[in-house]
Amino acid sequence: MTPDLQVSLGKLHLRNPVMVAAGTFGYGLEYRDWVDLAQLGAVVTKSLTLTPRMGNPPPRVAETPAGMLNAVGLQNDGVDAFLLETLPRLRETGAIVIASVAGETVDEYVQVAAKLSRVEGIAALELNLSCPNQARGGMEFGLQPDLIAQVVATVRQTTDLPLIAKLSPNGGEITPFAQAAVEAGADILCLINTVLGVAVDAQARQFRLASKVGGLSGPAIKPIAQYHLWRVRQSLPDTPLIGVGGISSVEDAIEFLLLGAHAIQVGTANYVQPTLAMEIVDGLRNYLATHGFPSIEAIRGLVS
Amino acid sequence: MTRYELPAVVVEHRQRATNQYELILHAPPIAERAMPGQFVMLRPMRTHAPLWRRPYSILRANPDKGVFSVFYSVQSVFTELLSLKPIGSTVQTLGPLGSYFVPVRTAQRHILVAGGVGAPPLCFFASRLAPTLQAGEQLLILAGARRRDLLVGLDEFRALGAEVRIATDDGSHGYPGYVTDLLQHALEDPINSAVYACGPNRMLKVVARLCLAHGVPCQVSLDAPMPCGIGVCLGCAVKVAMPDGGVWYTRACIEGPVFRAEEVVWE
Repeated sequence: MTPDLQVSLGKLHLRNPVMVAAGTFGYGLEYRDWVDLAQLGAVVTKSLTLTPRMGNPPPRVAETPAGMLNAVGLQNDGVDAFLLETLPRLRETGAIVIASVAGETVDEYVQVAAKLSRVEGIAALELNLSCPNQARGGMEFGLQPDLIAQVVATVRQTTDLPLIAKLSPNGGEITPFAQAAVEAGADILCLINTVLGVAVDAQARQFRLASKVGGLSGPAIKPIAQYHLWRVRQSLPDTPLIGVGGISSVEDAIEFLLLGAHAIQVGTANYVQPTLAMEIVDGLRNYLATHGFPSIEAIRGLVS
Repeated sequence: MTRYELPAVVVEHRQRATNQYELILHAPPIAERAMPGQFVMLRPMRTHAPLWRRPYSILRANPDKGVFSVFYSVQSVFTELLSLKPIGSTVQTLGPLGSYFVPVRTAQRHILVAGGVGAPPLCFFASRLAPTLQAGEQLLILAGARRRDLLVGLDEFRALGAEVRIATDDGSHGYPGYVTDLLQHALEDPINSAVYACGPNRMLKVVARLCLAHGVPCQVSLDAPMPCGIGVCLGCAVKVAMPDGGVWYTRACIEGPVFRAEEVVWE
């Protein structure tokens, strides 16, 4: 019997639990040479803002041990260009599209969410409440439970789409932030976003990022992501969770599912192995079949 | 243009100098489509550290044999891993990627300015350009490096019948000084020229300034940290002038690495 890879995160139904993380997969179209987007659980777009954002000056990225720092600064063409030019092409691929929403003010989040809610072809909204690479907004919201609640509650009033809150690990325990998001109306939680860090060039005697501080991603942060997923699972057992942080293999993905994730996101690994998300879909099917599990649900939370 | 993600087979590590090698890879789809100035992203092993693939400009490509090559010097964990790949093993390869050098057909003299390890894509360009030159068209190579042993590709350039002028920072070979001094001198000749350059970004900035001042068309291949090579991470940002008069960050891996000098906002 072929194992069932379908998962449901509340109202969000996916053909499998393998998503690609915001900001690591462009708008999805960039990967068409290697990936059949319709075979993925979902494609999360790069974060969309109300107006185009140029991003931060280079250097914006630095390789670190088993990871990388980025301070791209949410460069994007803006939500209007996405709706006009990109979304129609993305829909043609058959992909399930989740739009990542970012802003500097509560009002910006709401306006972007409202625009995305008025069109066909968006399966859910993911609120980026945790991007470290903005002067304002992003993580500033993500590290204050009352601001998280305000953003989520206000967006909640403007959309019927499933609402995912993506949370930061940079405020210590995530549970208070997770609870604030859920109480304000988030349907699903996504954890974690990048971990704050700096890197120094010893020869040039300066920071390796022009913005000095960046967000750490890649295999180095996997234990941090798994810790937070496990902790939030304990305090919010009824909330669907998406695990993200350092997933680089099917084994990594299985670990997150065993810790209680309903779905996972592949992030930085998309840069180095463009076909990885598809490999994980196939690998999950093999794992379930090999070990006699009928479905993804059958392994969820087995490690508690 | 189609880009491939495939396991390229190691044919040879051909030693070029102390610690310097030409890695010859068998990958017909890439060898057939590669254009001078384009690059590949290599991953010798699925390691977490180093994590990123590395971009390598294509040094030469032989579509008939299905092989292409890149130049590397062993100076990091990544290049050591690359150097240890046995003949017949595979290196995960993405390519061919990026923009390429386009010959300026109105030019009487094509000046290729190669700084250090910036030489390989210009070797490839010269090998494709030389057979197409009309009577009276000249190929002039200006090659610079810090020291004599860091000059790359001189034999290839000479074998094409090109005039080669050399500069080293320490004076160990050719003109003692910067290769941009050679360019400044060459541009004083009123012959109708076009310039194609690859090397450190600070060299390219001078090359661009000289060419703009002389009204000479100039293409530069820029270097930038490049985690993905396929246009998604936005790490390899290059500031460019937009038609509307504004500026924007574009990508060295997609819109580049070869840019027209006047497109780039040099800072």
